[in-house]
Order: sequence, then structure tokens, then C-alpha cells
Amino acid sequence: MDTRNTTDRDPLFDALRAEVGRLDAPRGVEQALLQAFAQRHPPRRRWHDVFTQRGWALAGMTGAAGGVLALALAFAPQVPVPDHGARAVALLDDDNPFIALDSAERIAAEPAPRMVAADVPRTTLAALGVPLTPENAGDSVRAEMLVGADGQPLAVRLTMQ
Amino acid sequence: MTTTTATDTDLLRRMRNGAADAFAALYRRHQGPLYRFALLRCGSADTAADVVQETFMGLLTERFRFDPLRGQLQHFLFGVARNLILKSETAQQRHVVLVGPDDGDDPDNELADDAACPLARLLDHEAAEEVRRALALLAPHYRDAVILYEMHDMSYADIADICQVDIGTVRSRLSRGRAALARRLAGWRDTVRAA
Repeated sequence: MDTRNTTDRDPLFDALRAEVGRLDAPRGVEQALLQAFAQRHPPRRRWHDVFTQRGWALAGMTGAAGGVLALALAFAPQVPVPDHGARAVALLDDDNPFIALDSAERIAAEPAPRMVAADVPRTTLAALGVPLTPENAGDSVRAEMLVGADGQPLAVRLTMQ
Repeated sequence: MTTTTATDTDLLRRMRNGAADAFAALYRRHQGPLYRFALLRCGSADTAADVVQETFMGLLTERFRFDPLRGQLQHFLFGVARNLILKSETAQQRHVVLVGPDDGDDPDNELADDAACPLARLLDHEAAEEVRRALALLAPHYRDAVILYEMHDMSYADIADICQVDIGTVRSRLSRGRAALARRLAGWRDTVRAA
């Protein structure tokens, strides 16, 4: 087998080793190769690059407003629905219609729906498209959510106060 | 404190996933030895640079596909560079024959021609220059073995892997190459001793 060790190197080559040992490929080679690499692997756009800074601000505001609304609804006192027969009508009741979050069949088949309501400052809902003017900036909006027995939201309605 | 050095395989995997820094690290790790081998092997700085560039370009484009299960990346790169040099020499010899078939020179002497060898300008040390000159006169298959053994500190097995020959062949090529070198350098040694 190979019994190579470093002591049997020919001293004749010492000078050549010293001379050649400090040589490297010209820098142009590395530059050409890195350019070729960049062409072959163009930088990929990451998913979060598709949003502009303004888009991120809007998304943040919307998320924050949604979070406030969800918290308000979670801690709001529950208003029991007085009559089960009224559940289908509830979607069209009052001034503003409910917005269905599930299919009509699913809502109609719900045996024990509950209504959860909360007053939310209008300013926090501006990002969701609720109109906001200097005059009504201090108002609140009544948010009502129809919730199924399993806790799944069925429909939602915002009532201006 | 611990230091972590990425292996060639890690860098290669990252390079194939598009990490430019991994490719640059691989290049910087291997370009020096590869360039020096090519420079001594073919005697031209320009050709050596071309060989290094083509070797790494082949790695990048996967024209030369490296399988980590079949050996070290360094050996693979040396093997590719050697094949590229052989290919270049074959083309060069064909060109020489077409231009001047009656020149009558020993083909090996072409490699030793200082005017055609920019490496001569890089080496100012007399001893180094003498050895380089003698090395350039060796037959290419002896030169491979001698350069890899003496200049790159490679084992017989490493050289066998790079040159795709068995270890016995490496041993005999190395022995004959060194003997030829000793003969060619005998005159110069005598002069040095006399001085």
C-alpha cells in the first residue's frame, strides 16, 4: 500500500515549491465565475417582497383592527337568541344585514346559535373600510356575531350607533 | 471556542441550491493548488487560468458532475483539469503538425521553450527555474505524477485516483520521472557544486 510520508519529498523541488506556492489564479477568473453563477442562479423573490412598504402598513393596520375586533367579541357579554325560529330571519333583521361566513344550509341547520355582541371604537375599524370622519371619530360600532354551538362564527353584522 | 469549517460536500450542496457564497468558498479553497498544477503541467499562465475557469464552470453547470460517494472533490477537480490539459495539448499538437511538419524538433522541447512559456517570467529563482525547465521536458504522464507527488504532497493512491491508473503505474511513472529529472539536472548540479 501507499507508504507516502512528507519526509521523502525531493529537496530539489524546494525552490520551485517556494516560488510557485504563492501563485494563485488571476482575480479575473473568480469574477467571471461569480458572474456566471449569478446568471445561472438569479436571486429569487421571496414571498414577503411582493408587498410594498405601504402594503405592509395597510396589512398591519388591518391585522391590528381585526385583532381588536376579535378580542372585543371574545370578552363581550353574550346575548342569547330569544327564538330559534328567528335564526334564519336574523340574517336580514334590523337595518344592516348579516354577512354570512358559512353556507345558508349550515346556518339554518345550526341547532343552538348564539349571538355575541360588542361595541368597538369606529377608529379601530377604519382599516376595514368603515367610514371615518372627524364628526363620527368618537363613535362606536356595534359588532354582532352569530356563533354556532361549536364556537364557529356563522355570520357577522356591524351596526352603526 | 469551536471553529466550524464547512466541508466540500456541504458547500457543494449549498452551491447547487444557489448560494453564491458557497461557490466562492469552494473556488477560493481549491483554485490555488489547481492553478499551480495546471501552470506547471502546461507551462502557460493563460492556459492554466483557462483550465481553472473551465473546471469550475463545469462544476457550476454540472457538465462535470461530482459524486461525493466516489471520492474527494479535490481529486475530482484535479482529474478534470488534467483531462482539459490533455485535450488542449492534443489540439495543440495537431496544430503544430499542420503548421510545420518538417521542423523535426522533439515535441517535448516545445514545452521547454522559454519564449513560449510565460511561467519563466514568474520564476526568478535559478534553482526553481532549472527544475521547472527539467520538469517541462518530462513526458506528460511522468510530469503528472511528479508534480502531484512533489508539489502537491499527494499519495500514490491520490495520484492513481486523479490519473485513473493503478498504484503500481503511479509508482513506476514517478520513479522514471524522477530518474529523468535527475539526469537532466545532473549538469546543473555539477555547475552549482563547482561554483
